[in-house]
Amino acid sequence: MNKTASPYSIVSLSTVSKIYKQGKIEVKALDRVTLKIKKGEFSAISGPSGSGKTTLLNLVGALDTPTSGSVTIEGIDLSELTKTELSILRRNRIGFVFQAYNLIPVLTAFENAEFVLALQGIPEAQRRRRVMGVLHDVGLSGMEHRKPDELSGGQQQRVAIARAIVPEPAIVLADEPTANIDSGTADSLLDLMQLLNKEKQITFLFSTHDNRVMERAKRLITMRDGIVSADEEP
Amino acid sequence: MNLVSFAMRNIWRNRERTIVTVCAMALAGSIMIFYGSLMEGFMKVLERNMIQMSLGDIQIHSPGYQNDPDLYKRIEGVSSILAELEQKGFYATPRLFAFGLAASGPASAGVNIRGIDINREAKVTTAYKHVLKGQWLSIKDPKGVVIGRKLARRLGIDLDSEIVIVSQATDGSMANDLYSVKGILKSVGSEIDSVGLFMEIGEFQELMVIESGAHEIAVSNPNNKIPLASATKVVAELVPSYETKNWRELKPLIAQILDTSDAANIIMMTIVYSAVAMVILNATLMSIFERIPEFGVMKALGFSPMQIATMIYTEASLQAMLACSLAIGIGIPPSYYFQNNGLDLSNIGSDSTISVAGVAFDPLWFPILTTSTILTPIIALFIITALAVIYPGIKAALIRPVEAIHHQ
Repeated sequence: MNKTASPYSIVSLSTVSKIYKQGKIEVKALDRVTLKIKKGEFSAISGPSGSGKTTLLNLVGALDTPTSGSVTIEGIDLSELTKTELSILRRNRIGFVFQAYNLIPVLTAFENAEFVLALQGIPEAQRRRRVMGVLHDVGLSGMEHRKPDELSGGQQQRVAIARAIVPEPAIVLADEPTANIDSGTADSLLDLMQLLNKEKQITFLFSTHDNRVMERAKRLITMRDGIVSADEEP
Repeated sequence: MNLVSFAMRNIWRNRERTIVTVCAMALAGSIMIFYGSLMEGFMKVLERNMIQMSLGDIQIHSPGYQNDPDLYKRIEGVSSILAELEQKGFYATPRLFAFGLAASGPASAGVNIRGIDINREAKVTTAYKHVLKGQWLSIKDPKGVVIGRKLARRLGIDLDSEIVIVSQATDGSMANDLYSVKGILKSVGSEIDSVGLFMEIGEFQELMVIESGAHEIAVSNPNNKIPLASATKVVAELVPSYETKNWRELKPLIAQILDTSDAANIIMMTIVYSAVAMVILNATLMSIFERIPEFGVMKALGFSPMQIATMIYTEASLQAMLACSLAIGIGIPPSYYFQNNGLDLSNIGSDSTISVAGVAFDPLWFPILTTSTILTPIIALFIITALAVIYPGIKAALIRPVEAIHHQ
C-alpha cells in the first residue's frame, strides 16, 4: 500500500472526478476536487441537491471509485485496494451514519453497535465492554436489548452513531444525519457528536443541508456543480 | 450474535413466507420418502415374485424348448445334473410342463400343468408359501393339486372340489384323471394365476406317460453367493448341450424395469424438486429484494461479498434443515404404517390383482423403508436448495453498497 499523503491528513482527495453515465449522457458529479481532511476535524459539506456532496462522501467512504484522480485514507491509496481490502478498510477505519439510520432490524441496539466489532473478530468480553461503554456515551444505557422498531428516530440514530464510533475509526462519515429527526433530537445528536469529537478526537465529515450542522461545523466545505466552491473555517 | 442466530432471525422476519417455503420443501421431501419406499417395495416384490415364486435365478432347457414348448424336448440325465449343481453350491429342481384341459362340472378351462418335485422346489422357489386357501402339495396326497386363483374362479371351484384333467400323453394316448383341489394360490404371476395347475412330479409322469427327464431345471443361487452372470456361466459349463439362461435373460423387460427404477426415482424427484426449487428461488429473491438497503449497509460496514453469500446460504440451509426434519416426520409414519399393514389397492383392476410385465402383485402393496429411501430425498432436498440459492446468493453478494443503501 502506497503511503504518500501527509500523516496529518486522514483523508486526501487529489483532482478527483466522478462521471456517471445516464444512457448516452455523461453527468459530471465531481470535477477535479482536491481536498484534505485532517484528524480531529468536525467538517461539513454543504450545497444544493446534485452538487456532489453524497458522491464525495461515497468516494471518501470507499463505497465508490473515482473516474480519475486519487483518494487516500490515512495514506492508503484506495485505487490500489481490492474489493476485499476495501471491505476490510471500511470495517476498520471508516464509520458511517446514514440519513435513514439503516440499522439492521433483527438485531438489538447492542448487536447493531457490536456488528463491526464482531466482524473484526474482537473477543466477546472486549466487545461487550466497548459497546456498553459507547451506548452509555450516546445515552442509550438500559436500551441495549431493544430492537430498532422499539426505539424512536433519535434513539435509532444514536445507535447508528454508536455503531460508527465503537470500532474507533479514522473518520465518521455522516450523510444528512439530522434530516429525518425533529429539531430537539437533532440538537442533542449534534451535541453528542461534538462531544465525541472534542473528547475522543473522532473526525467527523458531514454531508448536509441542515443549517444547525453547518453552524456547528469547524470547517464548512461548500460544493456547487461538482466543484468545491468554498472551503472556510468559520 | 453469531451467523446462525443472525440467519435464524432473518428467516423469521416474514414468518408466513418462511412457513410456506418450508412446508413446500417438507411436503416434497415427505412425498419423495413415501414414493421412494413405495417403489422400493414394488421393486422388491417384482423381483421376489418373479425369482422366488416361479422363475428361480437360472433355468436350463432343451435347445428350442422355450420357443416351442414341446412335450418331447426334455433334459435327460436329470439326477446327475442336479447332483453336479448341488456340488457347486446351487439348489436345483426339475419341472415338467404340459398343456391340457381342466373341467369341473359344466365349466372347463385350458391349463398349464406343472409337475414339480415338492422337496426340491421348496429350496428353489417360495410358491409353497403363497397358498391363499388350503395347503401346498403333499407327497402323501398325489391326487391333490394346487391351482391359480383366477383359474379357480373361472372354473367356479373351491377347496376339495373335484377336477378332471385331460391332455395328450407322450405315447399318444388320452391322458385323463380325476384330482382334488387341495390349495388355491395367491397371486404369483399372471400365467400361473390364470392357467397354473401344480401337481407332484411323479403323478405328472404317470399322467403324461413320461419315464424320465424334465422340461426345465430351475436353479437357485443361494444368497446370491456368486454374481448372477458368473453363476450362469458355471451352470452353462455344467450342461453345455442345453440352453442356460438367467432370469435377466428370461425376463429382459423386468430386468430393465428394475435397472431403471433408480432413474425413475431420479426423474420423479427432479419433477417434484424442480417445483420446490422455484418456490425457494422465488422466496429467497423476495427476501433479498426486501433487504437490498440492509445488504448495502452491511457491505458498507465491512461485510464481504463472501460473507453475504454465506449468510444467504446459512438462511437457506436452516430452512432446508427444518424442512427435512418435517419431511422425515411426515414421510416416515405413513411409509412405516403401510410397510406393516399394506396399502390396499384392491379397488384397482377388476380381478383384484395388478400385473406388471406378467408378474402379478397382491392387492396389498407394502412399501419398504430403507436408509436410502429416507436419506436420498433428504440429501437431494439439500442439494436442490443449494442450487436454487446460487442465483440469489450471487445477486446479494454483488450488490453495490453505494446504490443499495439508497434503494427504495
